Amino acid sequence: MRRFSGRLRSASIIGLQGIRARKLRTLLSMVSLFLGVLAVVVVQAGAGIAERLQLADLELQTGIDGTKVLYGVPPVAGAGQAVVDTVRGRPDAVAMVGLTAVVGEPGVRPVNAGGSPFDQNWGGASQICDATGKCYDPNAGLPQGQAIELRLTALTGDVREFRPYRPQSGAWLDFASAPMMAPRLVLNEEAAKGFERYHVPAQMRVNGASADMTPQLIGVVKDGDPQPHGYVRLDELTNWLPLARLTDPNGMSDIQVAMAASTPVEPVLTAKLKGLGGADMSIETIDSRKEMQDQLNLLRLIFLAMAGLVLVIGAAGVLNVGLATVGERVEEFALRRAVGTPRAVLAGIVLAETLLTGLFTAAAAIGVSVAALKAVTVVLGPSEPFLQGVEFPWSAGVSGIIAGLVAGILGGFVPAIRAAGIPIATVMRA
Amino acid sequence: MTELIRLTGITKVLKGQKEPRTILDGVDLTVRAGESVAIVGRSGSGKSTLLSVLGLFDRPDSGTYSLDGRDISRLPERHAAKLRSSHFGFVFQRFFLLKHLTAAQNVAMALINGQGWLPRRDRRARVMAALEQVGIAHLARNRPVKMSGGEQQRVAIARALVRDPRVLLADEPTGALDTETGSIVIDALQEATTRGCALILVTHDRDHAARMGRIADLRSGVLTERSHTLSAGRLS
Repeated sequence: MRRFSGRLRSASIIGLQGIRARKLRTLLSMVSLFLGVLAVVVVQAGAGIAERLQLADLELQTGIDGTKVLYGVPPVAGAGQAVVDTVRGRPDAVAMVGLTAVVGEPGVRPVNAGGSPFDQNWGGASQICDATGKCYDPNAGLPQGQAIELRLTALTGDVREFRPYRPQSGAWLDFASAPMMAPRLVLNEEAAKGFERYHVPAQMRVNGASADMTPQLIGVVKDGDPQPHGYVRLDELTNWLPLARLTDPNGMSDIQVAMAASTPVEPVLTAKLKGLGGADMSIETIDSRKEMQDQLNLLRLIFLAMAGLVLVIGAAGVLNVGLATVGERVEEFALRRAVGTPRAVLAGIVLAETLLTGLFTAAAAIGVSVAALKAVTVVLGPSEPFLQGVEFPWSAGVSGIIAGLVAGILGGFVPAIRAAGIPIATVMRA
Repeated sequence: MTELIRLTGITKVLKGQKEPRTILDGVDLTVRAGESVAIVGRSGSGKSTLLSVLGLFDRPDSGTYSLDGRDISRLPERHAAKLRSSHFGFVFQRFFLLKHLTAAQNVAMALINGQGWLPRRDRRARVMAALEQVGIAHLARNRPVKMSGGEQQRVAIARALVRDPRVLLADEPTGALDTETGSIVIDALQEATTRGCALILVTHDRDHAARMGRIADLRSGVLTERSHTLSAGRLS
């Protein structure tokens, strides 16, 4: 170990001396290597940032990794009530009842019938089915008017533990206060766009409600949903729409329950729903990262292969400079052998120089990438929100260092072998 | 004085030509600690080859080479490197100083050779002591380009002495110097013998050879001892 340490230190010191003595050559080696290492860093950083951004959007829609989601609440009377009773007041589980609502003039066809995004026309309308299973278009024959159709999700608690909706303006639903008669509504960005574009009366209709409601718009969040969507407290909605009707199996609602990874709610709820005949229930654990990584990995591999090619070309440049340098230093290496330097240390000296060159190049490439990312986020950040808060992934830095070291080894290996093989007699015959 | 080096029947044949050529032909030589030996002979007589064998740069084709009573004729390169570092110091006709390093760094080269590790303070002390020994400690920070030939050769001698070698091998160390400077260099080399280091000097200069304790003449690969009655001038 001590011998190895002495050899390593000797090779490092002499390597550094060699770099200092041949600054221009080191610089030229770095230039030839720079693009390759930069390509690796950029590909890794790009993939890391894309993964993070994609994951962040995916989390909004499907939930944070590890969250359990219960689907398929049985379409039987009492199932909705059982779900709400089980999760009410619990921080580790939230029931989400989804339904359709129309805000605006009564007796008209909404501007986005079917709940389509406002810049797209899906051309259809939400169907409503009655107790006999017969479905119909509630807007059939109505003239188009100032009304907006949106998907409404009624919540029993703060769902952001499981789906980290990002606040854009206003406030999120306050579950600690007493429920209000005028339901408070938090919109997603698409719904907010509709309310900004169309001036509609504050009158909300939900199928099965005893009367139209006057909603209060209190905030806007980013939820990753391209359709107009609103969030409301379930207990404020049930002031106007009894829970039994809200969760009517023949209605348009659907129920999901988001739960923490380990919660007693799961077995209790499962038992209750099974008792009510729920055979088709399923509980899924969210694992977005793995699914997304499978998709991203292929793309990353393709780009890394291209970056690797550029890196190999750079390493060839280092090899070229290394061979020329060893050729010029024949006497020095022969002399070093004469004073007792082992062949392995001579090879180590050349490798230390190319490895240090690789490391310096990696540091430069990482520095340029970090600065470029910073500049892009500062310049384009205000107009491109997805760039806000983007940070340089450390994994890209590590990849850059590894790429620099690998290129250093590739470029230095042959010159190192040549240096180790220089005969000592060179100094005698000089 | 204890026996340090013993060569017995050393032969070295140069192959790779039409006919193999014998460079060293049964060379016998014994050198004791603190002794100085001049090896003289015409150009091409095999002096440098003999020095290569003595310095473990090359292996003899036959014969025995003993150092401190230990046979080192067939030493693997790994062990030979270790022995070169611990037992031998080399001075060549050309100084072989690295121009990007200072005098002190050039001397330290022999200490930073992967054979053990000395802390910087100890290293510096030994380098300065070696430079002091050859009288150029004041030039420690100078680079070779700012030194005269004699000063550069003394740096090379300091590099050879810095590890306190048992044997100092010098291959025409004054060949590139004027008479006066050459004499100073020989003084510096002989100084080492007072501390028990054996000196083997290959030279063409009769005066320098005459200052050694013994003179051996190498002719056509055969080494013979001479008496101390050389006339002044250069051997050819």
